[in-house]
Amino acid sequence: MSTIDLNFEEELKTFCENTALACFNCGTCTAVCPLVNDNFPRKMIRYIQVGAKDAILENANELYKCLHCGLCTHTCPRQADPGEIILGLKRFVVANWRRS
Amino acid sequence: MMKENDKKVGVYICYCGGNISDHVDVEAVRNRVEKMPGVAVAKTNMFMCSDPGQELIIDDLKSGKIDRVVVASCAPSLHETTFRGAIERAGANPFIYEHANIREQVSWVHHGDPATDKATVLISAAAAKARKLKPLEPIRVDAKKHAVVIGGGIAGIKSALEIARNGIEVAIIEKTGSLGGNLNNLGRLAPSGENASDILQEILGKVKAAPSITIHTGCEVTDVQGYVGNFTLDVKGRTDSFKIDTGAIVMATGSVSYQPFEGEFGFGTYPQVITLPTLIEALKQSKYQTETGWFEFGGKPVRNIAMIHCVGSRQIPGIHEPRENGQLNEYCSRTCCSAVLNAANQIKERFAKTRVVDMYRDIRTYGRGQEALYDRASANKVVFMRYEADAMPTVEKSSTPDFPLTVKIKDGLTFNEEMDVPADLVVLATGIEPSDVSGLASAMKLPVGTDRFLLEVHPKLRPVEFPVAGVFLAGTCQAPMDAGEACNAAGAAAAKTCALLSKGVIELDPFVAEVNPDKCQGHGNCVDACIKEGALKLVDVQRGGKTVTQAQVTAAMCLGCGACAAVCPEKAIDLNGWALEQYEDMVDAIVAA
Ligand SMILES: Cc1cc2nc3c(=O)[nH]c(=O)nc-3n(C[C@H](O)[C@H](O)[C@H](O)COP(=O)(O)OP(=O)(O)OC[C@H]3O[C@@H](n4cnc5c(N)ncnc54)[C@H](O)[C@@H]3O)c2cc1C
Ligand code: SF4
Ligand code: SF4
Ligand code: SF4
Ligand code: SF4
Repeated sequence: MSTIDLNFEEELKTFCENTALACFNCGTCTAVCPLVNDNFPRKMIRYIQVGAKDAILENANELYKCLHCGLCTHTCPRQADPGEIILGLKRFVVANWRRS
Repeated sequence: MMKENDKKVGVYICYCGGNISDHVDVEAVRNRVEKMPGVAVAKTNMFMCSDPGQELIIDDLKSGKIDRVVVASCAPSLHETTFRGAIERAGANPFIYEHANIREQVSWVHHGDPATDKATVLISAAAAKARKLKPLEPIRVDAKKHAVVIGGGIAGIKSALEIARNGIEVAIIEKTGSLGGNLNNLGRLAPSGENASDILQEILGKVKAAPSITIHTGCEVTDVQGYVGNFTLDVKGRTDSFKIDTGAIVMATGSVSYQPFEGEFGFGTYPQVITLPTLIEALKQSKYQTETGWFEFGGKPVRNIAMIHCVGSRQIPGIHEPRENGQLNEYCSRTCCSAVLNAANQIKERFAKTRVVDMYRDIRTYGRGQEALYDRASANKVVFMRYEADAMPTVEKSSTPDFPLTVKIKDGLTFNEEMDVPADLVVLATGIEPSDVSGLASAMKLPVGTDRFLLEVHPKLRPVEFPVAGVFLAGTCQAPMDAGEACNAAGAAAAKTCALLSKGVIELDPFVAEVNPDKCQGHGNCVDACIKEGALKLVDVQRGGKTVTQAQVTAAMCLGCGACAAVCPEKAIDLNGWALEQYEDMVDAIVAA
């Protein structure tokens, strides 16, 4: 159970282009991602959309598996740029790590 | 007069360019049919509907070789009228014709010997029936060049305008005090963004300028008598009652917005839970922008809006609570997805700070220009969430002081995680329900679907007609549709009305009941069995110097159903073109074949 935070998407602006809301959750990025990980990277994009900040921090280790191969960004039909978002989330995680 | 057994039947069997002959051995069928009693000639052709095919029939009729015709080919809905026309061109009566369908009912569904055998059987039955066909005359009734449109929404207005444009007088009967229907309640319309009031102004201006349109507002039709071309309507106004004589009727009684029940998604419990029409009205009343940058409702800024789709639509037995009358709206209302996204876009584009969460079961932006509304909503940063019918979102009082309400949702897009969505306003995308016209429908014997919408003859082939001749339908009284689709239907219903009334006379098929005055004893069983009020009655007639009671058919009203023929103990009433004797002969022929 988490309470959604619609301001989070704004907050992320300092770390990357805020293209997350362009995503319509098709899952293409997850299908092409060589990591074959549970819903990655769509999961992270979705967490941004609903502002599930804690969920992102809790699952931060997943971000560091990304190879930055760029396949997801290349195939995304909505130009949501998932690869760039993953990079941005790393910056966000670094900035927020063990802050609280 | 010749005895029936002397009738000379011509049988013409079609190859349909291989469509039939690939599976039915047409020549073998011809050889068998030729030997049947009453068959004078049996011929085949590659395409019976072609000119050379039709010439075969015409030549044989003219030379006197035959006087009854059977064509075995495709479904009669395609070419029955073609072949009746050929018979007329040969100078004969078009009703000496019988059709055997050996394509849809044979070659398209059977193969090899069974196909050939079934074709033989169907043709033998048709030939046996043809021997007892009588020449008939179409029933001609005078038709009043006047139409009544019931319901003055956009569908009613549009059909009235089109009918009037063709020189036929129209009366619009509207229940409320003004025309326009639900468009009076709408603002910017999906998908084009035009103002509903601009559209109404334009068409109402045309109505005012059309001298042949009479408008009766505040009026309802209480009864309908008569038949195609000659209806009489009883109309009750607020202060007076009057009658209108008319030739045709267009039903355009439209629909109403679904009213949620007390407690449905917190409706009625929390003042912050409103319906889509209430939001549309608030957007219409609101200043274009606010100083705070937030959309304001009830004087308060709205930070988060949650919108819930499919309220009162797509209900599933066993999951949704039926109404007291047991009714569930299992259909999709079709307009709410676009209308709700349209409203979301207006909010995001006018009040950028307000956040919108759109909770859908499916997004059904099916029409031209509608998907663009969804794309625009995405670009406007509307957050979408998806719920399943068996796990509906719930609306609760918020446990924190920040927001008045919390919508709890099991979100399919977030891996079915439970989410709390804090909201200042919850909008229920309520659907469409048909206006209650049960009284009118039963007075006019109009079919009503299990979903309570009025039911056309056939959804594709006769989409704006009722089985009751001279009565048409248009707009959301038939099914949920948007204003553009309602206008399409209205144009079609108007065209049908004009085609029916323009000549001033209507020809009807003569396949109706006929009483044999030599046999009828006036038992009246037929009158009790008759399903069409006014088609059959008992009257006193003079016979052999005595007054006797006998049944009398009003041909223009008879449906030709045969309910009367089935119950008459004297076999005194029968159907022209479909007599009991003919059925008996068909059965004999089937057994013999
Ligand atoms: C919330 C909502 C939003 C919508 N948004 C859009 C949109 O954005 N774009 C769009 O294209 N469409 C939209 N629609 C659909 C649109 O409203 C309908 O397509 C349109 O109103 C249908 O017109 P109609 O003439 O069939 O019916 P109606 O508009 O319902 O008119 C029927 C008329 O018949 C009258 N009537 C009813 N019974 C009787 C009777 N017994 N005797 C006499 N008169 C009677 C009624 O009073 C009414 O005036 C929306 C609908 C809803 C509910
Ligand atoms: S960039 Fe990262 S998330 Fe995208 S496909 Fe490659 S590994 Fe997967
Ligand atoms: S491919 Fe693009 S649109 Fe599809 S889920 Fe991934 S980020 Fe979203
Ligand atoms: S149009 Fe959309 S909101 Fe309306 S009933 Fe259909 S799916 Fe539900
Ligand atoms: S055929 Fe049907 S409608 Fe016609 S008189 Fe007989 S029962 Fe009535």
